[in-house]
Order: sequence, then structure tokens, then C-alpha cells
Amino acid sequence: MEAVIEVHDLVKEYTIAKKGSGLRGALKGLLFPEKKTVRGVDGISFSIAPGEIVGYIGPNGAGKSTTIKMLTGILHPTSGSIKVCGISPQADRKSVVRKLGVVFGQRTQLYWDLRLGESFELLRRIYQVDKTSFEENMSILSDVLKLEEFIHTPVRQLSLGQRMRGDIAAAMLHSPSVLFLDEPTIGLDADAKHAIRHFIKEINRKRGVTVILTTHDLDDVEQLCTRLVVVNHGKVVEDGPMASLIRKLAPHRLLVVELQQPFDDLEHPAAEIIKQDGLKVWYQFEKSRISAAQLISELSQKLPIQDLSVKEPDIEDAIREVYKMT
Amino acid sequence: MVTTIRHYFSVAACFARLAVQRQLEYPLFLFSWLLMIPIQYFSGIWMLKIIVDRFQPLNGWDFPELAFLYGLGLLSHGMLVVFFINTWQIDNMVIQGTFDRLLLRPMSVFFQLVASYVNFIGLIDCIPGLIIFLYGCQLVGFEWTLGNIIKLLLVLIGGVLIRASLFISLGTIAFWTKRNASMVGFTLSMLERGTMYPLGIYPYVLQVIFTFIIPIGFISFYPAAEFLGKGSESFQLPLNFALATPAVGLACFMLSQWIFRRGMRSYESAGS
Amino acid sequence: MLQAYWYITKMRLLTNLAYRFEVFASVGTNLILMLASVFLWKAAYGGDTGQVQALTLQDLTSYTILSIMLASVFVCDVQDTIYYKIREGQIVTDFYRPIPLLACYLADDIGSMLSSMINKVIPLFVFAALLFGVPWPASPLGFLLFIPSCLLSYAILWLLSALVGLIAFWVMELGNMGMVKDSIVRVLSGSIVPLWFFPESIQTISKFLPFQYTYQTPLGIYIGNIGVREALTAMGIQLIWVVFLYLLLAAGWRRSKSKTLIQGG
Repeated sequence: MEAVIEVHDLVKEYTIAKKGSGLRGALKGLLFPEKKTVRGVDGISFSIAPGEIVGYIGPNGAGKSTTIKMLTGILHPTSGSIKVCGISPQADRKSVVRKLGVVFGQRTQLYWDLRLGESFELLRRIYQVDKTSFEENMSILSDVLKLEEFIHTPVRQLSLGQRMRGDIAAAMLHSPSVLFLDEPTIGLDADAKHAIRHFIKEINRKRGVTVILTTHDLDDVEQLCTRLVVVNHGKVVEDGPMASLIRKLAPHRLLVVELQQPFDDLEHPAAEIIKQDGLKVWYQFEKSRISAAQLISELSQKLPIQDLSVKEPDIEDAIREVYKMT
Repeated sequence: MVTTIRHYFSVAACFARLAVQRQLEYPLFLFSWLLMIPIQYFSGIWMLKIIVDRFQPLNGWDFPELAFLYGLGLLSHGMLVVFFINTWQIDNMVIQGTFDRLLLRPMSVFFQLVASYVNFIGLIDCIPGLIIFLYGCQLVGFEWTLGNIIKLLLVLIGGVLIRASLFISLGTIAFWTKRNASMVGFTLSMLERGTMYPLGIYPYVLQVIFTFIIPIGFISFYPAAEFLGKGSESFQLPLNFALATPAVGLACFMLSQWIFRRGMRSYESAGS
Repeated sequence: MLQAYWYITKMRLLTNLAYRFEVFASVGTNLILMLASVFLWKAAYGGDTGQVQALTLQDLTSYTILSIMLASVFVCDVQDTIYYKIREGQIVTDFYRPIPLLACYLADDIGSMLSSMINKVIPLFVFAALLFGVPWPASPLGFLLFIPSCLLSYAILWLLSALVGLIAFWVMELGNMGMVKDSIVRVLSGSIVPLWFFPESIQTISKFLPFQYTYQTPLGIYIGNIGVREALTAMGIQLIWVVFLYLLLAAGWRRSKSKTLIQGG
């Protein structure tokens, strides 16, 4: 299938003013400002197929937002090429943005002092959505996002979760085929997060909307994304399906064993004891060397086991690994 | 083409309606403006009167003529404040990321920038302008013929365009520096001083600048001079002001559009 | 204790010096105001070398240049600071800080004053001197009196600003009343047109208002229009205003504070 988003060798450079310290530095900066060039995005390439939900993650300052801004046509790249739905957002911004929905978690596009519905009415006119499709669209959005509870409330009186639901609805009014979400669950409570994740899954499943998501919330990633693109220092450090990425990045699993009584010979040749606390013992093992079942059966032959559990590696560990690598 | 125009009109109308609603959310806030604006402008014309009374007409302009000039300049200022106030805060929009949002919508960015805030509070600026202008008209015996009224409207539109072009061009600086609030203050002072006194009081260099480089002389001075039948001592301009002011306005506006597009191209948005 | 204030002052000074572009624009703005006013006076005298109200064109040129320089030094951001702190609801937490708030705001403004001296007044002075000649004071004694009079002027302006800032504690919704005050000060302080040219009745009323003691008094001393004896009297009146406004502010501040803390903002 043809890619929805095609990015090739994307580079974005910035010039920043270097500031000296102290009174002397301030005076110097006043007369002879120094500048230096920084690469925010340094040769990124990837392509995204229709219907994917991609987590675009990395630490602060890794170049996530900058990439999103280039994909959506806000920023122009220093070099490299971008195609969104086959069009370059730099060459034809208006055509591209018609197909995009963009939500910035920390900045609302809703009018603060007005009722939520007023902002929708404005967007309806901007995107030239006719009345019938608008109403149809609204009722679908309302169903999942429960908008009718607060559509007549001024935005400033909405809770953060309601506001975010409003913002997502605003981004979806013109039925875009690609949805960009920048930190969509930041600062929300568990209920609101759940509602938003549910909505993302729904529109992806029902309408085949491609979703690109940046987040620091690893539950978002675990529950939503089929694929991860991990960036650090402006470069893609990992790109692949969630599961294989975790396998690759965090091959270790943990077996936690609780003994009935103290026992001396706890060692096993294929696993490493990383922690021991009273009767509880933590074994770390590699899936490729020994399976969980085999390890359990071998240990249970010699140890008086009361209880045990196997822990899957979590995405947080995996990502932490990546950050350490670079 | 027609559908595009209709689209833009419908959006502009919606923007305007929302702007009124937003401003009416805080009606008391108008109070401080309602006090300040008249104080500022009425005291301005009053101080001119004091100077003329104590000394002599300024460069041959007596008080009635000065009031006419001052009022004419103030009217186009008021209209600018109503229709183009968003050009004053491009820096804020850049820093807070609202400018990014304009780029994410399938419409002209400049149109959205200007149309998204019709500042009805700016009508407060128009009131002293109108009062002083009508007072000046009364004093100089302005003839309200149809021809004069059409000329006057053309001059006002041209004047607003010249002012707007200046703020657009300077606001564009925010794309590079992220700050231009102080530029706005600078331009406001320049426009105020350049349009409310006769240009003839300034040295020749400044007159040249205000005629050919930053043509704010066309906002009020040249039109007023011709309405009042005063020969401008400095330049004998071949064009009739009623054509000159809107023509200069249009030219400036087109130039400012070009500058704005240049600025947008080099715009890097806030944060990275 | 004083060290804490000096730290605030120094930080403000450093921050302001970092904004190069703002400084150019501010100098430009003041330069325009200066040029416009000086040329206005030139046109008013119309090549006449005589005196009007005992003032020559040279006197008024110096008066205008100095007035613009003072206006860029006399930083009273306190009114905006209080207004925004209240609007953002920050003022309550600030009240719990260990050092007095108003003194912090003053330290902040003094920092801005010092930076303005360096990056605004010096360039303005150079431009003015190049364009219109150095605006010398009328006499060395006049200059010596000018300095303390300026300090008193600043005290009056700053206290007025802080008092206007207090209005926000009571009627937040009215917007920033500081703007209104500024537009009144601009006219009645004589900063643009000296009050000596105003109608007699206005001059009489103005003697009982604090405004003319903010700009006209030090500037009049500088250009020698106010003699030594009158200068000392005027400075006495300045001092009375400072004391009066200070007491007013202290009382108003105490009431605003208790009101805010009881209501919890």
C-alpha cells in the first residue's frame, strides 16, 4: 500500500544566540551577539502506511515537536523531503492541511471565553464542511467523546479532560485522514485518558485514520501504538513494531519466586539473581536462552516454591535502554 | 473564485461575531480604555491649542487647520485599531503558538491573522477622532459636497492601508526576533507625531523620508493641505491627493504583503 | 536583607541588558518623541529668538531632551506587576514570602532604571547632543539641585504607580487603571508642554496636585527657570508629597493585604 507519510533524510537546523554570563556577558551580547548552529533534526527517514498508529517518542529536546511541525507544514526543513498523502506540505500547505487533524496537548485551539460549540461552528466554516456532514460528524464524535455534556459551556469552565476531548473533536470535524496528537493525555486523570485512548482506537478502526502520537505517557504507547519510532538527538534510533522492539531492546524478563522457607542453593545457570528480600527472589533471564516454563520447572525441582510470577519487560525499560544507548 | 470569496466572507463574518462575543464577556474592562483614550487625544489637541495661543500658527497652520489635520489622522488611526490590531501582536502569537494554528488551516494566513480579531473596542479610538475632526471641519468651514465626501473616504481608506502596511512590515520582524512589542510602540509614536503636526515643521530630510520612504505624509498632511487649499511648501506633488493617498496605500499594502510572505518563509516556530 | 534586594536589582539589570532589540526600539521611540517635540517648539518660535514666558527656544529644547531622558529612566513597572500578579492569582503566595513585596518591586524597578541609564539614556544623550547640541544645565548649582529633585520625582511617580496598582485589589475588572494615570501624568506633569504655558486656572489647580512636581520641578531647576530659593521650596513640597503618598500607600497596602488574605484572593 502507498504510504500516507513519507519522510526522507529530514534535517532542521537552528541558529541560536549564545549568551555570556554576568554583567560582562550581557554587555558583550548587547554589542556583539554570538551565534551558533544546532541541528534539531538530523537526517530522519521513515514512512507510515494508512491505518497505522505510530508512537513517535523520545526524550525532551529530541526533535519530536520539530518533526511534527515539519510534517504538518508549520516549519520548513533545512533539507530532505516530506510527502503527506503524496503532497509536500511545503509546496502546497493548504491542500495538505485539509487532510490533517492536529492536536497540541498543551495549547488549545478553542476560544477560551466562548461556548465550545462556537469554536466548532467557526471550524465548520473554515474547512467548508456542509451542514449535513457536519451534523453527522458531530453526532459520531459526540457519541464517543460525550460532547453533549459540555458543548454549551464556555471553554474556560471546562475541566482539562473535557477541554482535551473538545480539542480532539475540533481536529476531527473535517474528517482528516491523518491525525497528529502531540501529548494528548498530558495532565489528564485516568478516566479522561481512557476516554481519549478509546476514541483514538475507534476512529482508527472505523474510519482507518492514521494516527501519529507523541507522548511521554507509556501507557498511551502500550495501549495504542502498533509501531514505535524512537528518536534521540534528532536521529531515529529505533523503528519497528512494538513487540519486536521490546524484544530487541529489553530481552530480559523477571521471574519472582516466593519461597516457603529459607534455602541456600538458589543459583540457576541460565538466570541471574538480581535481588533478594527475605523469602522473595528475583531472577532475570533471557528469553532466547531459556523459556519461562523451563526455568520454572527446573527451579521448582530444587526449591520449595510458595508462589511465583513472571514479569514482562515494560516499555518504559525498553525506552530507557534506547536513551542510554545514544 | 466566487466560491473562494464566499468562503472567506463567511469565515470573516463568523470571526467577527465571535470577536464581539468575546469582547462582551468582559464589559467592565472597557472602562479603563473609555477613560484613557479620550484623555490622551483631547489633551493632545488641547496642548496644540495652548502652543498656538501662546506662540503663533505652526508653520502657517492655525488652530482650526491643525484640528482638521489632527482629526483626519486620528480617524484613520481609529479604523486601523478596529481592523488591523492583530498585526500588533504577531510576536505574542508566535511565542504562544497560536500562529502555528493559522498555518494548520486551509486558508490564507494573513487573512486569518487580520480577520480573526475585529477589535470593536477600537471604536473608542474613533470617537475622539470623529469629534475632533468634525470640530476641525466646523472651524475651517469644510464643505460637505458629494465630491468632498468621496475624496474623504478614499483618503481614509488609503490612510488606513498605509498605517496597516507599516504595522504588517514591522510585525514581520517578530518572525525573526520573536519580539516586536517595542517596535509597535515605536511605530505608533512615529505615526502619531508624523500625522498630527504639519510635516513642514520637520527638517527637509524627515520630510523626504515621510513622503517617499515611509510615506506617512499621505495619511493626513498632504490630503489636509489640499482640502484646506494650503500649498505644501516642501514638495509640489503632481498627483491629486485623493488619488495619491489610496494609490500610495495600495502600493504600500502590496509591498507589505510581499514582506509578510518573506517573513513567514523564514519563520521558525516557538519551541523545538 | 539588603543583599536580597540588590540581587533582585542586579537580575533585572542583567535581564534588561540582554534584550538588545527592545533597547533599540525604545531608544528609537524616544528619539522620535524628542525630535517631534523639539521641532514643534522650533516651529512655535518660528525663527524668533525672543522669549515667551521668560523661556528661550534653547531652554525649551533642553527641557524637552531632559524630559524624554527622564521618562525613559523613571521606570514604574510596579502598577503592571501588581495588576498581573492579582490577575494571575499569584499575589497571595507572594504575600507569604519573607521579604516585603513592595520593596521587592522597588528593587526590580531600580534594576530597570540602572539598565535604562546604560542602554537608553546614554544613546539618547549622544543623539540629542549631535542634533541639537549638548543640553547644558543653566548653572552648576542648578545641576546639583536637579539630581536630588529627580530622586524625589521618582519617589512620587513610583508611589503613585503603586497606589494605582492597589486599585486592582478592589476592582480587578476595570482593566489596568495605570494607563489612565499615565495619560493624566503625561499632561499635568508638564513633561510635554510645561505648565507655565497653561491657562492660569489650570496652573493654580496644578499647584495642589502632585503631578507638576514629577517632571516640571526638576526640569525647571535644570534649565534655570526655577531659581535656587524656589527650587528649595519646590523640593520641600516634593518631600511632603513623598511622605503623604507613602503613608497613603502603607495604609492602603495593609488593608489590601488583610482583605486578600482573608478572602484568600
